[in-house]
Amino acid sequence: MRIDPDKCMGCMECADFCPVECIHERDGQGVIDENECVECGVCLRADVCPNDALFMPEESLRYPRLVRAQFSDPGVSHPATNQAGRGTEEMKTNDVTGRFRRGEFGMALEFGRPGIGTRLTEIEKVLQALMAMQVELEENNPVFGLVADMRTGALKPEVRNEKVLSAILEFKIRQERLEDIVQRLTPVLADVDTVVSWGLATRFAEDGSLPVLSRLDALGVPARPNGKVNMGMGRPIVEP
Amino acid sequence: MSHSLHRHGTRDQLQRDYTFYARTSRYVNREGCGPKLRRILAILLEETRINNFGSSHAGKSYAAGLKPEEYALTLDKAYGVAACFSENDAVRSVLAKLKEADTGISIVVSGLIDEIAAMAKDLGLTPHTVFLSLGVHGKKALLPEDRVLEITTMCGHGQVATRLTKAVVERVKAGKMTPEAGAHLLAQPCPCGIFNTTRCAAILKASPQGASGGRGR
Repeated sequence: MRIDPDKCMGCMECADFCPVECIHERDGQGVIDENECVECGVCLRADVCPNDALFMPEESLRYPRLVRAQFSDPGVSHPATNQAGRGTEEMKTNDVTGRFRRGEFGMALEFGRPGIGTRLTEIEKVLQALMAMQVELEENNPVFGLVADMRTGALKPEVRNEKVLSAILEFKIRQERLEDIVQRLTPVLADVDTVVSWGLATRFAEDGSLPVLSRLDALGVPARPNGKVNMGMGRPIVEP
Repeated sequence: MSHSLHRHGTRDQLQRDYTFYARTSRYVNREGCGPKLRRILAILLEETRINNFGSSHAGKSYAAGLKPEEYALTLDKAYGVAACFSENDAVRSVLAKLKEADTGISIVVSGLIDEIAAMAKDLGLTPHTVFLSLGVHGKKALLPEDRVLEITTMCGHGQVATRLTKAVVERVKAGKMTPEAGAHLLAQPCPCGIFNTTRCAAILKASPQGASGGRGR
């Protein structure tokens, strides 16, 4: 995003709307720090500029910078998945896709959330660690399209320093690997230069219980009381 | 993904915050989903206690001016229909009607897991899969205080800014804005219709002095 200096009156009405706080006042005008801007477009859509000084420059729509909007504006589609959104259907449609079966856990690491943003280098650090752990990465996730080398987890060099509001690594493990993966992953996450919201998808047991909860407690990563529940109303149902 | 998963708040607050998502699968049932999603939208709108609705594909939420008839026109080949509620009973009523309608579209409800499971049991539903939040990791010193996160995390795409939230908290505290007007303003950037304006107004009403302080904790 950019502010047209010929139009900006310096009212700074737009600044409060910026999720990554990159709109500053300089010499009586608003200026966007383009290195920090994630191209989410929130400031523009807020429609608070009395002079229409905010605009999306052509450079923002050119690769590799275009990656920023793809991960930060929920209305922009990803070329890798041909749909908007940072992730996938994950467990939302698991009753009809069977993506996560009994005996498996799905995991999602969302970098930059809540509300901080992340450089893609932070994702690369964790992706490389995950490759060493030999987890099953979700190929339909938009981050997958940015990977240069699947053996090492290295991202394409031109995108590494791009900044996005958030991006997700999704993978699957066998349930018996939970302790090993959590114990190896926790110190890696502690070392990243942003925040990471961590999610785990699992089937309910046949009696309706969630045996994973006590294992997570023992690992020191307890689940919060709120989550997302697939109500089992999709048809035809996979693995009832 | 997971845009309704990591909502921050106390158990007491979360008892009055439910999101609903009817989600098509691109691999199974998106083709020809329009009539089914419109039926689901109609059921949602029959429930007068609906707080908000929308979807990123529609570009804005009800709180930002999305009209039901305008929304209904966007539902052919759509990802789905999202909404939020503050009352457990309202969600229960919607689920009972959806069970009867039997559209075959996947339904996801976010909120307190034990309460949703109990609701499902009462209705004779068998929950299939759960997405658990294991909290925030990494550089947590970057985060604002809890009261701000309780509001901003109601937009899972991170479109509601910390600075805007703090500004609204200050305006409400100064008596320059009602909590309801503040909640309406904060709902504008979230296009998905899962920003719960009733919960937000309650948080703004309860904001103590100092709730809008700086980053770091």
